[in-house]
Amino acid sequence: MSFKFDGQDVPVQAGDTVASALYRSGQRIFSRSFKYHRPRGLLCCSGKCPNCMVNVDGSPNIRACVTPARNGMVVRHQNAWPSLDSDALSITQHFDFLMPAGWYYKVFTNPSTWHAVEPHIRKIAGLGEIFENPQGIPDYEHAWMHTETAVIGGGPAGIAAALEAAAKGGEVVLVDDQPELGGHLRYQKRNASALDDQIAALRSQANVRVLQRASCFGLYEGNLLGLLLANPHEGAAERLIHLRAQEIVVATGAYETPLLFDNNDLVGVMLSTAAQRLINVHAIVPGSRAVIIAHGSQGEDVNADLRRAGVSVVATVAPEDVVAAKGFGSVSGLKSKKGTFACDLVVMCGPRVPDAGLLSQAGGKLAWSDARGAFAPVNLPANIFAVGDVLGEFSEPLPRNFPDSKRAFVCICTDATSRDLKQGIADGFEQIETLKRYTTTTMGPCQGRMCQLNAISVCSRDTGRTMNQTGTTTSRPPNPGVTLGALAGAKHHPIRRTPMHHAHDELGAVWLDMSEWKRPRYYNPNGKTSESEGVAAEYRAVRERAGLIDVGTLGKLRVRGKDAAKLLDKVYTNRFSDLRPGRVRYAVICDDAGTILDDGTVSRIAEDSFFITTTTGNLDFVHQWFDWWLAGTGWDVRVTNVTGGLASVNLAGPKARDVLRKLTDVDLDTKAFPYMACREARVGETSAVLLRIGFVGETGWEIHYPAEYGEQLWKALLEAGAEFGILPFGVEAQRLLRLEKRHVIVGVDTDALTNPYEADMAWIAKLDKEDFIGKAALSRAVASGALREKLVGFILEGKEIPEDGAPVVEDGIPVGRVTSSRYSPHRRAGIGLAFVPPEKATEGAPISVRVNGLLRTATVTLEAFYDSEGARLRQ
Amino acid sequence: MSFLIPCPNCGARSVYEYRFGGELKPRPGPAAPEAQWHEYSFNKVNQAGEQTEWWFHRSGCKQWIQASRNTVTNEVHRTWIAGEDPA
Repeated sequence: MSFKFDGQDVPVQAGDTVASALYRSGQRIFSRSFKYHRPRGLLCCSGKCPNCMVNVDGSPNIRACVTPARNGMVVRHQNAWPSLDSDALSITQHFDFLMPAGWYYKVFTNPSTWHAVEPHIRKIAGLGEIFENPQGIPDYEHAWMHTETAVIGGGPAGIAAALEAAAKGGEVVLVDDQPELGGHLRYQKRNASALDDQIAALRSQANVRVLQRASCFGLYEGNLLGLLLANPHEGAAERLIHLRAQEIVVATGAYETPLLFDNNDLVGVMLSTAAQRLINVHAIVPGSRAVIIAHGSQGEDVNADLRRAGVSVVATVAPEDVVAAKGFGSVSGLKSKKGTFACDLVVMCGPRVPDAGLLSQAGGKLAWSDARGAFAPVNLPANIFAVGDVLGEFSEPLPRNFPDSKRAFVCICTDATSRDLKQGIADGFEQIETLKRYTTTTMGPCQGRMCQLNAISVCSRDTGRTMNQTGTTTSRPPNPGVTLGALAGAKHHPIRRTPMHHAHDELGAVWLDMSEWKRPRYYNPNGKTSESEGVAAEYRAVRERAGLIDVGTLGKLRVRGKDAAKLLDKVYTNRFSDLRPGRVRYAVICDDAGTILDDGTVSRIAEDSFFITTTTGNLDFVHQWFDWWLAGTGWDVRVTNVTGGLASVNLAGPKARDVLRKLTDVDLDTKAFPYMACREARVGETSAVLLRIGFVGETGWEIHYPAEYGEQLWKALLEAGAEFGILPFGVEAQRLLRLEKRHVIVGVDTDALTNPYEADMAWIAKLDKEDFIGKAALSRAVASGALREKLVGFILEGKEIPEDGAPVVEDGIPVGRVTSSRYSPHRRAGIGLAFVPPEKATEGAPISVRVNGLLRTATVTLEAFYDSEGARLRQ
Repeated sequence: MSFLIPCPNCGARSVYEYRFGGELKPRPGPAAPEAQWHEYSFNKVNQAGEQTEWWFHRSGCKQWIQASRNTVTNEVHRTWIAGEDPA
């Protein structure tokens, strides 16, 4: 097994991470720092610090130390040029005097200066770039889980807590981010047999589920935990688990953080727990000559581990005696008050910090204890518990130094030093939260894990406040960070197809996405028809012969019951109680502010049975709106969504009657079946509801019939129409046809404030009804006579048409806008709908419309552009 | 925001299964003064504490329910099907 690192083969052993394989192969520099491009090596070896971030298979900022090495991976360095070993940009560290704390605010006070340098700064400072992954974008998935007890952390405390909870009989989920349970006992190689017994006991419990390699990135309201499970199965990069638990036990333990001294960031200066992981987990000898900085038992333990691995320990130095690490890039020695020791490895036993972020997110507080040298959680909310080292019950604080130096790095993510913090405090940012934002300390990829304690300590000392007065910065999820792909989840995009979808495909449909639906935009039967040619042919067919369009995406509701008419009178602005069975009315829904929400048709099939259509995207909304106004009324009304069960077509054109007559016995004569009538009848081999309506402005029928017959009747209609020259038509031709009739599309020709008067549909609001939704607001609008604007038609001579949304201009000021515009073959001119000031809404008024950047004069019309008397509809 | 709402039909479910329908407030009569309509249409009480609200269980039983929610803690103490307030 091997992977590529910057083009070189790196051999992989079983259990290797990317970092362990690289380290074994001799790689010591893993990254270059954010600002000064200083070389950085392994520091924490546990996925917490920023030092080992690399690009893996195209994804940037992947922590090499916790990423399992896989055969064939492509790993690349980031933020260094030309290479990690010799980064030209490391020159920047010699200009640090130009980049003091808050230098952005101090230097770039002039916007033009900033715009000039911003692209260069972005190139120099920063993290990785995204490359295209030759294997394509990996899959991500989401899962939902519920449990009685969730235990976060699989160390000894977490295992004990899980066993205890399991003994009570409830379901337990144990979450651990490591490849093996055991926490610090694993990498410290202690109590191995007792640990294995406990893990075996845990695994034998049927009510315990263990999630390994799963990090918990957040604890949210309602005891919801966000988990990220790496490589849940072949082909899936990550699974995001939404885990809901009745009680949560946080057993996240404590982690080690760096000490502050000059050049504490040199390659070869690492935390003692990192050295232990290399030795005890990966069987790697971390160096040849080591100096240990330690106090107490951890120093003795790591000393034993180093010696056992064959590392020569040249000295153990107390933290307060450390002066500086020596070396250029990589460490070559440690200078202390007791002398200077040559070495290639400095092992720091730094202060431990309880990993209490989840407890803070749950609403717990952190309080500093001088006796323990730690911020420990207090005041935990109900059903949240903490066990083990996360409680911060350490035996003694670590004596430490806080030198004031431009090479003592507090924040290794953003290269903020103790001198930068001092400067920030001098500049007036003495609260930890403002100091954080000013110096960017704790704001890098480690999210404060490596730097928070040192930053608070420096701030506390320099401001003369206690640790508790200084306080901590806020822990927010996600921590650790979550890839955007995991949040986005699976690449599932719902698509709805009408029952005639495949028939459209056979006819060469060019598709248009409308909300979740696929609709034919126009038909390209021979593969050579341009959109304008196709639309023109379809337009001519409807105006001169016959056309057929699939309108199955319309929302369709059945409203039944004794009080059905009463409901419709309430939710629509016009009246339905006096609608006779067998008749259809256009209908508009407003809210109580008088704003148009939706439109459609209402057909009375029988005394207590109505068939309703809504616009394509608004079905669910309208259904919920009906149910809402019904809730608690006790009225006898049942609203049923029948959209999916019906196929719907609109057959229109001067020959539509001749086509339909071949398939039905119902009398289609205009006297027997007039405009705005509806009938239930058989068409072809199926039952159907026929509505004689005219959205496109010709004699026509909207036919609703069982979806099972969708394709069958569609094809039968086209076949019956062949002798008359019928064509299927798409959405684009329909939009042109309806625009010639000046029919509005709600949501296109109306906006979130338009009322029926502004939409020039005064007739639709029946203010003499006792009550309806919107009556009070519309009555006031009529009484005041004040309109914001009015929707009018306009004609623009010539071939050019304005874009949708183009401004209507008066004296150089936009006073209105075009909502729809097309070239009308009938008028041989541009036509459209536009909102204009009310005083411009008169027949023949000139308005200025911007077309292709120039102002053109258009003429207002309040008539339809085509057949304004509606004679053709009624033929 | 990830609290649970106990649906009278479906049991405790994530808030993401619901559509928020606003505060429960009486709709003025058609002849009510303009100020009252204005208040109803555009203003919210936004009570800090217990508030009765409309919720629609769109990913569940598709019913409008009413709920008593503490807007500070997001605890939902009681829910009922609209018109069937047990209290």
